[in-house]
Amino acid sequence: MRTPLTVTRIGHACQLIEIGGLRVLTDPWFTQTATYYQGEPLAATVAGLGRVDAVVVSHEHYDHCDLDALLAGGLAPDTPLIGPGTVTSLAHAKGFRNLRTVEAWEATAVGDLTVTAAPGQHGVHEVTFVIQAGGRTVFFGGDSLRVPELDTVPERFGHVDLAILPTNGLCVRPLGHRQVVMDAEDAAGLTAVLRPTLAVPHHYAFHSGRLGDRMITDGDRDPRRYADAVTRLAPDLDVRLVLPGIAVEVA
Amino acid sequence: MNSPVPAGSLRPTRTETRTLPLDSVEITFQDRDRTRPFLLLHGGGGVATMAGFADLLAERTHSRVLLPTHPGFGGTPRPASLRGVTDLARAYVGLLDDLELTDVTVIGNSFGGWLAAEIALQAGQRVSGAVIVDGVGIEVDGHPMTDVRGKSVAEIQTYSFHDPSRAPQPQGGTPGPSPDVQALIGYAGPAMTDLTLLDRLGKIDIPVHVVWGESDRIVDPDYGRAYAAAIPGAAFTLLPRTGHLPQAETPEELLGALLDLDRR
Repeated sequence: MRTPLTVTRIGHACQLIEIGGLRVLTDPWFTQTATYYQGEPLAATVAGLGRVDAVVVSHEHYDHCDLDALLAGGLAPDTPLIGPGTVTSLAHAKGFRNLRTVEAWEATAVGDLTVTAAPGQHGVHEVTFVIQAGGRTVFFGGDSLRVPELDTVPERFGHVDLAILPTNGLCVRPLGHRQVVMDAEDAAGLTAVLRPTLAVPHHYAFHSGRLGDRMITDGDRDPRRYADAVTRLAPDLDVRLVLPGIAVEVA
Repeated sequence: MNSPVPAGSLRPTRTETRTLPLDSVEITFQDRDRTRPFLLLHGGGGVATMAGFADLLAERTHSRVLLPTHPGFGGTPRPASLRGVTDLARAYVGLLDDLELTDVTVIGNSFGGWLAAEIALQAGQRVSGAVIVDGVGIEVDGHPMTDVRGKSVAEIQTYSFHDPSRAPQPQGGTPGPSPDVQALIGYAGPAMTDLTLLDRLGKIDIPVHVVWGESDRIVDPDYGRAYAAAIPGAAFTLLPRTGHLPQAETPEELLGALLDLDRR
């Protein structure tokens, strides 16, 4: 029998990935500020998450690395926290005690769970992740740009069961409108290479508030563009657009 | 039928004075609220089938979204004065009066779609548009509505979802959402249709968008086309890979269809 694989978006890029009995939380974000909104209701509080076996964090931006909220919500500081050095040094300073620093193509194991960092590119140093257990493989794209090395994931890791990719093509206006996140076309192109059993987009509902959207960030908030682009590039692949809190089981 | 009322009277500028509790500062202000209001009307499965979409709509469009529980559903009482769908529609028009809202878009699914049509017929000046999503209530030759009475939840889901594996999973051993047939019959009668509705739809004089799931096997897409054809000027949108409950199965696609029409 195959190991069950389920993913539930908590909000934005924060996903609860369950492989068999293992529960992995990605890029936590549980609070909001005047210019950072999830743009969707959170599906759970930290306390309401239940047991978390590992936390993986792609980079240190607040909307992906809300470590204060994890601790305030009662997450045990000895929960394994996996991320690049920029994240683990920050986590150490905040009191996390079981840190696993991984840079591109380095791996760490938590029990039966193996997490390998893959390359990433963003406004700051970022990695993406290949999360594996029980013969199942998940690619987690954080909010990275599409980088060419990611095309090698299937060669390195075999069949990808689930790919979670950002799609809003976020541009930062004060940085000369520089694009820092893959857009729907980039993500669909990567999906066509990864050929996952199921692809789920995230990181598209986020906004910076009314004025912030005009002054700080510019992102595409319509995930249908990604689904349409995948249909065009790889019509046999399955994409699901889901709301937070909906548990999606991967065949 | 719309008859003119004095401009500005339906959603007036309010002047209010508040005393702040902390330091007793008193501030008088004028309040002009032109936030876009939506009235969301659930179907037989109850308010739970709409709540996720209500969040999506409010967050993505920065709007005000009202999601009532129809009296008689979810264990609430149904007063004797609410004898049928037209009575319930009148009550909702009264609610909008009470809230002093204008330019309201009414969106209803299944039974709620029928209700949205009845509200559109008696909306007066407060409702400026209606969206009927896989609505019921009319009778279309050769395209009968599937009778869900006596069917199990699992059976109903095979009729209601393009992919039944996407049906909401019941939490912790409780049965999943299923149509509240008693509450439905209370309004709609045992036949769950109104033989006069199809003709009356021709009197609707506000814009109506009819949206239908291509895989709806409760009321099929041709039934939906007949709904749209009966309403003057109505737009019709078919959602692929979607059944009877688009707001639950493909909420982003439903929202996208509504917003695409906004941009046309």
